[in-house]
Amino acid sequence: MKRVLLYCTLVVCVEVCVTSCSTTATKIPKSVAYKQMYDEKPLTILLMPPINRSINVEAKEYFHSTLNVFLSNCGYYVIPPILSMDVLKKESAYDAEMFLNSSLTKFNDVFGADMVIFTIIDKWKKSTLSSKVQVKIEYIIKSTKTNQVLYARTGDITCDTSVSTGVGGLWGMAANMAFSALKTATTNYIDVAKACNGYTFYTDLPWGKYLPNYQKDLELKSNKKEFKTSITPDILNLYK
Amino acid sequence: MKRILAIVCCVLMLVPCQAKKKEKVKPLYVWSDYSNAVYNYIKNSDEKSETQLIAAYEAIIKNQSESSRGVVPPGIYAEYGYLLLKENKIDEGKAMLKKEIETYPESEVFVSRILKITKK
Repeated sequence: MKRVLLYCTLVVCVEVCVTSCSTTATKIPKSVAYKQMYDEKPLTILLMPPINRSINVEAKEYFHSTLNVFLSNCGYYVIPPILSMDVLKKESAYDAEMFLNSSLTKFNDVFGADMVIFTIIDKWKKSTLSSKVQVKIEYIIKSTKTNQVLYARTGDITCDTSVSTGVGGLWGMAANMAFSALKTATTNYIDVAKACNGYTFYTDLPWGKYLPNYQKDLELKSNKKEFKTSITPDILNLYK
Repeated sequence: MKRILAIVCCVLMLVPCQAKKKEKVKPLYVWSDYSNAVYNYIKNSDEKSETQLIAAYEAIIKNQSESSRGVVPPGIYAEYGYLLLKENKIDEGKAMLKKEIETYPESEVFVSRILKITKK
């Protein structure tokens, strides 16, 4: 009887943990979640300079320098960011906020882009004591042909940047804390941006033309539209 | 006897799993130190960051045999060419930009635009 009770408690705990991470309805197949994207079959994507609404002034660059790697790894052709950045600056179009709700067809004419990605950094908060970086970020991909949103995900992502010194006991604990605090102060925050991009795109962005299994992911489940997740140091290393 | 047979079967089933584990999965592309180099370049745009970025491009072009596509990732030839043009290395820069179009024909719209500006 005790075992049954324990098992039931465990199941309830797991259910609670899983549901607490999701803020919207149950997962649906990618073919349904991104129907327009599969219909349009876009290939070329233009990165708009990230919109930074957080208090960390450098957060914009962390994302601007990492986004193309992850989108390319998902099988898309990404207009090289250094080139697009210069062209957008010359054309006085560097403020992405101006284009968030306006026509995007000119980006197809100038860059040959099928889609444009907007990134909005709502929060970038680092905690030295707990060695954690909390990021709230929105990824919005829009079609340059129809102006419709093809993909939109909002992530509330906590990255644990702590490290272990390998020393045990009370001294070890103190050493780990001190080392982690030092590391958070000098952490390569580019790795945090990489983890946010990697977790979001690798979990459910439709696979692009240059992936060997292109168009074979239709029945896979999409991620939640708004998700909350914690990334451990081991997972953080995987996205580096 | 049945026990021995069951153990042998289990071992035989595990052998291919072990063999599979040893196979290293190749990434679609090899990016070397690209993101850090781009970050430093965007942030500083000085000679040091430019040298670091060029070193990253060269490493990426050199190491693609370790990737599953075996092809230089999107945008690398174009960015490298663009940087060479900025350094006044016109012929080398143009050659890189043309390589981008050869590798990724979808890049032609904006790369040919840069080539046209360069001709002037």
